[in-house]
This record gives sequence, structure tokens and C-alpha cells, in this order.
Amino acid sequence: MSTIQVKNLSKYFGKTKAVQNVSFNVEKGRITGLLGPNGAGKTTTIRMINYIMPQDEGSITINGLSVSAKTQKMIGYMPEERGLYKKMKVGEQLVYLSQLKGLSKEKAKEQIKYWLNRFGAYDWHSKAVGELSKGMSQKIQFIATIVHDPDIYIFDEPFSGLDPINSELLKEIIIELREKGKTVLFSTHRMEQVEQMCDDICLFNNGKVVLTGNLRQVKKDFGKNTVLIEFEGDGGFLDELTNVRINNRSTNFAEIRILDDRNHQDILIKAMQNAEIHKFQLVEPSLNEIFISTVGEDNIKNKEELLA
Amino acid sequence: MNWRQIFLVLKREYLTRVKSKGFIWATILVPVGFAAFIGIVVFISVWESDVSFEIGILDETSQVAESLVEMNAARYLNYSEMSVDTLRSMVQREQITGYIVITEENITENRSLELIYSGSGGIQLLTSIQADVREVIREERLRRADVSPEIQSIYDTRIGLDSRRLTREGLDVDDDTLFFSVVGMLMGIIIFVAIFSYGGYITRGVIEEKTNRIIEVIASSVKPIELLTGKMAGVGALAITQFGIWILAFLGLSSIAGPVAMSLMNQQPQLEGELAEAQAELPFFLDMPTIETSLIVFFVIFFLLGYLLYSSLFAAIGSAADSDTDTQQLMLPITAPIMIAYFIMLHTWRSPDSLLSVVSSMIPFFSPILMITRIAITEVPVWQISLAIFLMLITFAGTMWLSAKIYKVGILSYGNSAGFKDLLKWVKQ
Repeated sequence: MSTIQVKNLSKYFGKTKAVQNVSFNVEKGRITGLLGPNGAGKTTTIRMINYIMPQDEGSITINGLSVSAKTQKMIGYMPEERGLYKKMKVGEQLVYLSQLKGLSKEKAKEQIKYWLNRFGAYDWHSKAVGELSKGMSQKIQFIATIVHDPDIYIFDEPFSGLDPINSELLKEIIIELREKGKTVLFSTHRMEQVEQMCDDICLFNNGKVVLTGNLRQVKKDFGKNTVLIEFEGDGGFLDELTNVRINNRSTNFAEIRILDDRNHQDILIKAMQNAEIHKFQLVEPSLNEIFISTVGEDNIKNKEELLA
Repeated sequence: MNWRQIFLVLKREYLTRVKSKGFIWATILVPVGFAAFIGIVVFISVWESDVSFEIGILDETSQVAESLVEMNAARYLNYSEMSVDTLRSMVQREQITGYIVITEENITENRSLELIYSGSGGIQLLTSIQADVREVIREERLRRADVSPEIQSIYDTRIGLDSRRLTREGLDVDDDTLFFSVVGMLMGIIIFVAIFSYGGYITRGVIEEKTNRIIEVIASSVKPIELLTGKMAGVGALAITQFGIWILAFLGLSSIAGPVAMSLMNQQPQLEGELAEAQAELPFFLDMPTIETSLIVFFVIFFLLGYLLYSSLFAAIGSAADSDTDTQQLMLPITAPIMIAYFIMLHTWRSPDSLLSVVSSMIPFFSPILMITRIAITEVPVWQISLAIFLMLITFAGTMWLSAKIYKVGILSYGNSAGFKDLLKWVKQ
């Protein structure tokens, strides 16, 4: 049984269809990435899984139970909009938040002590959150998410706004959680993060799921039909290629996806006639490319964001 | 509804506020301010009697000066044998405050007297001198007219109006209508102010959670209705704490204020003329009619019901707004009924049984202010009180339902403040 099962889920805001007939599963002990541009319905879906918002249609089960106040306690959730009570002290605040998740006061204090020490933040225990730097309060936010030691973790755009140190730290935490057999679901519009961390992916566009499955399998299915080329000289030949899509183009680099069954060697020959080739490599398409070819170039909202 | 969650929210709301500097200062300063007020009143009346103004009387008729001296020996000095010039120079040297020359015309004809003085003393001095000379001159004229003592006594009559209330049980008790009118008005004003300030706490608390962006973390652990209930209960508990402290401080202060005032006054044993009257008012603090327990109980009931009724709405407003400054427009439908109730109250405390007072005291949004004012002042039939409480409870259920709906959607909508159209949509959802 999947840890999180989402079936035919829909949510409307007035006439806007925020989420339409979405189904996917999150498997135990794996990291699943929800991908898609902003406004694709990821946050709304996540809020429904967290029982913050009711769904209009469909079902969500967590370990076989329909979402409820009870399933909320099984989840550690870090929303995209992060925040803490500014005037409350770090320690008091963490105790309060973990008590709300069902921990006893004693157990909460013990856990908080462990995590504060782990992050080298025990000295901040009696400081008001408002006095902390941004990086520090981000750490406190992680602790608030994981302190009640749930089995499921949901992070909504976890890396947005994090400083580089905390980005690394969060990555470590997420990998560590998987090693402990925990289940992680996170959303992002940054594809490269998914490539580095996810086992499974679920692509969102315009409120619908367009592709879902094991990341490696998905890539394999798309075949090795992408060329990475590094060259020196005039890149004008790239414009003459037909039936290809060029991503990530710069003055001496290009990622070329071949859209028909043409031989990639043709491209190499053409390139050699025009420039000096430093590198020519045949690879699986990037997630960006997979996303674009799945939904079609014209159907993507906020495309610039994806490619950023 | 999970009571554990509600209790946790309540505890946080209560503890963080009760420990805040603003709360501690307000709680201390109100009784201190009250004590200072009493102190100033006592001080003024005591200090006032310390200053004496000496008025020289040059009585050419030598018939009224003695009566004035008899009336107030500290103020009037019989200087009839001195010359006007001497008196003038005495005023200039500040040996006396002023002088009055009384001639035969002042007694026989209706000619005004003239006070020549240094200008100190103010209106109070002038009015009291005027009253004194009027009295002695009238007495002198009556004496000269040789009227019978019966007629003289007619001039001395001063009819007052004492009132006693006949209760349903047949006891006639001292009527303290004036006192209780003031009490009733004060209670109404206190509830009026309290609804605004504690309601404000709630609105700001909700907005703070939204602007801090912690609301979504909280919402992933607590149902909105639990959060709302916990908040209202927490601030309610805060209100009870603060009022408890104030009531105790008030009782404590007023019980010591009387004796202190008395002992201060006793150092000044000779009570003279007008001043005696001024001081006679002071034991008001001592002589306060007892406020019945039932009135205090009703005050607490109407205060709490009013608080509940309005605070749920204040929370809804907070959830719909995106920042403190955006609340003004949304606030209007809530502040309007409180303001209207306040203005009606200014009529009710003078006329508690008028149709306007009776009817509006049973309109749930007005009841907390108007009903308590009426209960304090007049005999309100039990059915009216029960009906008012009943209607408020029903209305509270309604506002709570409405607010819960708005709150649930409002706390998760960021970006810009919602208008009334949006609120309507949220309620329908």
C-alpha cells in the first residue's frame, strides 16, 4: 500500500479549476518530487494532503486512512510561506508547535534539545525568534517541521529563499530521512533539484498531472536522444538544424534534443564543419526537456521560470 | 473539536499576552490612575480650605458687619473704624485680599456692593461673598421692616427632594438613583471600551499570524475552528484576569480612600461657610451605596456575552485583512452597532424605561451596553433580561458560525485584503 494515495482529486476556486482529477501515489521510504511551474496546483494539492483545505472531489488516504486531524499528526509539513511567532522564544515556540502535533511536553523538550544541539543552535533556546538572523530562523523552521518525528515529510518549495548553507543542510536532512525509511514529498519548480534527489516524480501543469513515475524509468523511456555539445567558434549552425529543440544554449554550449529519429552523427558532422568541437555527448533528456515535450511548449505557463 | 488543541492555543494566547509589557503596564496604571484621581480630588478640597481670603468690611451703617463676621470670622474682618485709604493700602500691601464699603443705600435701596480686591480667589470667592452679603442684607432689611418671626422663617425655608423607593416586596429603601445612574453609565462605557480593546487584541493576533506566515504551520496541526475558539477563550481569560485585578484594586482603594480623606480633613477642623459644603460632598467615597452582587454578576454576564458576540466577528475581520491598516473598511459593520449602542446609552442612563431604551436594550448587538445600564439604574423585568440573554446566545451562535466560515478561508488567503463580496463568497462555500 502506498503511503500517500491521491485519487481523482479536484479543487475549484469559484470558476478556477485549481486541481483537476489528479491521481498519484507516494511510496514509503522514497523521495517524491512534485514538479511544475508556479500556479500548476502543487501547493493546493499539498494543502489538501495536509488537511488544511478540503477537496471538492476525489480521495486522499494516508497509510490507508482518509485525511483527518489524525493523519495531520503523521506528517511534518513545511509550507512555502514560512514563519514563526516573532515574539515567542525559540524553546517555547518549538514546545508549543510539537504539543500541537500531539507530543507530550517532556518528550517535546527532549527532542528539541537534541535537534537544537544537532544544529548548533542550543544557545538560541531562550531568544525570541524576532532577534534571530534569517538563516537561524530557517533552521528553527526545519526543527519545527521534524521535531515530532513523523513518518511522512512534506516540504512545499523547500529551497526557495534558503541561504546556501541551509540549502545544503536541508538536502542532507532529506537524504538522511530517506535512509531512516521515512517518506518525503516535496514540491519545486526547480528541475535540477529533483534530478539530484528524487526517486519518483509527478509532473503538474495547469492543475493536471501530466506525467508520473520512477524518475529513472521516465528518463529511460524518453531514450538517449539528447546531445550535449561544447564547441568553440560560430554557433550559427545551431539555427540551421531542423526538427530539434535547443535548451540551455550559450556561446559555446548547447543541449540539443532530437525530435525525429535522425542520426545524431549528422549533427556532429554539421558542427565539425562550422566550429571546433570540444565535447560531444549523447545523454538522456533533462527533466526540463521531458517536461516541455510532455506538455507541449505552448501549454506551459511561466516557462521562463522553469528554465531559470 | 479537540479540547486538548483548544486548550494549547488558549494557553499560548493567554500566557504570551499576560507576560507582555503592554498588558502589565495597563493593568498597573489603571488602578494607579484611579488612585491618583481620588488623591487629587481629596488634595484639592483639603488644600482649598487652607487658603483663607480676608475681606475688610467698612460698614458705615455698623449694622451688618457683625453679622458677616459671625458668619465667617476667618474671612470677614470688621474694619468699620478705618478709612477707605487705609484699606486701599492694606490691599496693595497684600495684608488683606479686599474690602467692601457698605453704605445706607446698599441696605435701603437695591444698590450693588463693590468689592475692591487684589484679584485672587476667583469665581468661587466672588460667589460665596455675594451669597453672604445678600443674606446679611436681606436679614437686616427684614429686621428693619419689623416682620414677624413666622415670616422670617419663611425666608429661611429651603425645600429639597428626598426620594425613597418602594420595592415589590414592600420595603421602602433609600433611593440611590443618581448614584446608580452613574454606575450604570460607567458599566456601559466599560463594556463599550472593553469590547473594542479586547476585540482589537483578537484582530491583531489573527493578522499577526497571517503576516508572520506561521498560520499555515498551525493550520497543519489545528482545525481553524479550534484555533478560533482557543484564541477567543485565551483573550477572554486575559480580560477576566485584568478585570479581576482592577475590581480588587478598586475595592481596596475605595475602602482606604474614605478613611484617608477623613483623616486629612480632620486636621482642618473648622469647616467654614461654602467650604463646609464642598467638603460635605467628599464622603461620597465613604458613603457609597453598596453595589449588589447581582449587579456585578449581570455585569460579568453581559460583558462576557458581548465579548463573545463581537470577538468572533473581530477575528473574522482579522482573517480577511492582510495588514493592520487594511482593517478600517472591514471594521465598519462591527464598530457601527457598538457606536450606536453607545449613543443610545447616553439617552438610556437618563431615561432607562423609555421605549427606545427598552427595545434597543434587547437588540443583541446593543444589549451588552444598554441592558447593563438599565439593570443598574432601574427595575428591569426578568423576562426582558432573560430574553436579551437568550437572543444574545442565539446571535452568538450565528456570528460564530459566520466567522468560522470566513476565518477558515481568510487565514489562508494572502496577497490583498478581501472585500465584502469575497467574504460573502467564502461564507457560501
